[in-house]
Amino acid sequence: MSTTSAARALDSRTPSSSPAVASRRRRPDRGVWIYVLPVSAVFLFVFVGPLIYTAWTALHETNFYAIGEFSGLTSFTELFADPNLPKQIGTTLAFSLGALVIALPAGLLSATVLNSLHRFKRTVRGLFLLPWLMSQATAGVIWLWFLNPNFGPVTAITTSLGMGPTDVFSSPTSALVGVTLITAWWSYPQAMLLFLGALQTIPGELRESLKMDGGGVWRGFISITLPYLRNTIVSVVIVLLMLYVQMVTIILVTTRGGPLGATETLSMRVFNQTFNDFDLSGASATAILLFAVNVVLTLVAIRFRRKESL
Amino acid sequence: MTTVVATRRKKGAGLRAIPAWIYVLVSALLVLPPVAWVLSTSLKVEADTIDFPPAWIPDPFSSGGYAGLLTSTNIRFFVNSLIYAGGSIVLALLICIPAAYVATRFRSRRMETLMTGILVLSMVPAIVVFIALYSMFVQTALINTYPMLIVVYTAIICGQTILFLRNFIENIPVEIEEAAAIDGCSRPQILMRIVLPLIRPGIAAVAIFIFVFVWNDFLVGTVLATTEDMKTVQNGIVRYISTGFGNFWALFSAFVVVAFLPVLGIFAAFQRWFIAGLTSGGVKG
Repeated sequence: MSTTSAARALDSRTPSSSPAVASRRRRPDRGVWIYVLPVSAVFLFVFVGPLIYTAWTALHETNFYAIGEFSGLTSFTELFADPNLPKQIGTTLAFSLGALVIALPAGLLSATVLNSLHRFKRTVRGLFLLPWLMSQATAGVIWLWFLNPNFGPVTAITTSLGMGPTDVFSSPTSALVGVTLITAWWSYPQAMLLFLGALQTIPGELRESLKMDGGGVWRGFISITLPYLRNTIVSVVIVLLMLYVQMVTIILVTTRGGPLGATETLSMRVFNQTFNDFDLSGASATAILLFAVNVVLTLVAIRFRRKESL
Repeated sequence: MTTVVATRRKKGAGLRAIPAWIYVLVSALLVLPPVAWVLSTSLKVEADTIDFPPAWIPDPFSSGGYAGLLTSTNIRFFVNSLIYAGGSIVLALLICIPAAYVATRFRSRRMETLMTGILVLSMVPAIVVFIALYSMFVQTALINTYPMLIVVYTAIICGQTILFLRNFIENIPVEIEEAAAIDGCSRPQILMRIVLPLIRPGIAAVAIFIFVFVWNDFLVGTVLATTEDMKTVQNGIVRYISTGFGNFWALFSAFVVVAFLPVLGIFAAFQRWFIAGLTSGGVKG
């Protein structure tokens, strides 16, 4: 029952108490299914069909995009025997958790600060939201130009300090750090918006009584804000993790998975296997693995939604 | 709530607000420089863009980058994105409004299962289904066609669209619909004459959300549009980086700025709806 949501929380109106059970009297007739038919057709065509096709492809040999002989689980055994796989899983974890560790506190802090401001609120909100308003591709390429090793301002600063040009995307470690930071930079406003919606549901009386008892800002944060936001934090973590695990665009426009595969997450592996190596069978096997990771995250999301009605 | 804010403001939180403003300042220093740098580059003469050390203020100012954008290829990118966005808005509303309506008003166990299924499916990583869609389309005539891309965009945003519309429909008192039914309205008539006008704000928010999503999406255009005349604005931006030779930074920056303007304009004009539409699906996950 999706009666509560961030939209509802952002919406300052009180939820109207219309019980939507009037139609329970009769058994819902067959006619209603016509209304959901188009949506179901689109989903069968774009999601269910391709998922089955992916599984089918993973079980067959492929030659470019033509499906050949049945090969059983060969592509899966090859996937798990691939010495690159542990490294790519590590990259995915480092990338996702790294971005999460930055974006989550940044989002929470931004929301708290924004909620406490009384002047220039709209301007500051616009400033905080700016990275997220850009597309992922834009965020990636403008940082690429800003960090350009030959002509960029960052290079100018490091050169004048005598450290030489900054060449973030040419060495493996710094490329991974760079891509992670750009992703966190782009995505923290999403966390902020979700937190902002939740912060507005904290009753003003609580803050008043804190003031009466002489509690400071920190005390208020620990004793009021955090307990109130516990569920929101869980859901933000899941939303962000899902975003990071399937992130392709920012990595694609900045490093394409390189240098030396240092930024090749599982999603990038699927992309590269399909469009660089033309190994569709292998890509499908990796995609199934990625899908499995996503299913786990989705199940956690649904579980928490049911339990705490996020 | 507003009264609480008002009284607090009177007490004057001047000093207490300082840490908050320090945080705002630090954020500004992290957010604005790349943006300012692109803006500055877009106004430079092409030769000045590769000056080292770089200048932040263009000297002389030049609109050459913007003028140079008016090529048929670039216009095609923008037209394509508009077609994809417009088509997706129409198609998504056409199929999602009826679904959201019956899912809200005619709840049954099976209906809930279907809706959960749609939600869960719309969270499948795009790249997972794209490789299959690509290898299916590339063997047929379906690749590089407007309808196909519009259907894919629509499918991706359908889950959130339905969720968001359901919240709006739930807020309509059911009595209005019952009264209409007693007066002899059929179900389609109730949907068209009663529900549709009442959820107009929701439709606007959804349309904004879909427009921004399609306009900002890079991956669909990359994977499912293989010829340049079908690519999107975002592909147009990245094209400079991935295939650019010689001096292209002023052109590139001007393109980035122009591509960002529609989203910025919509955000400035409809801030509330914009934020409501964009966050609705996220938390439901």
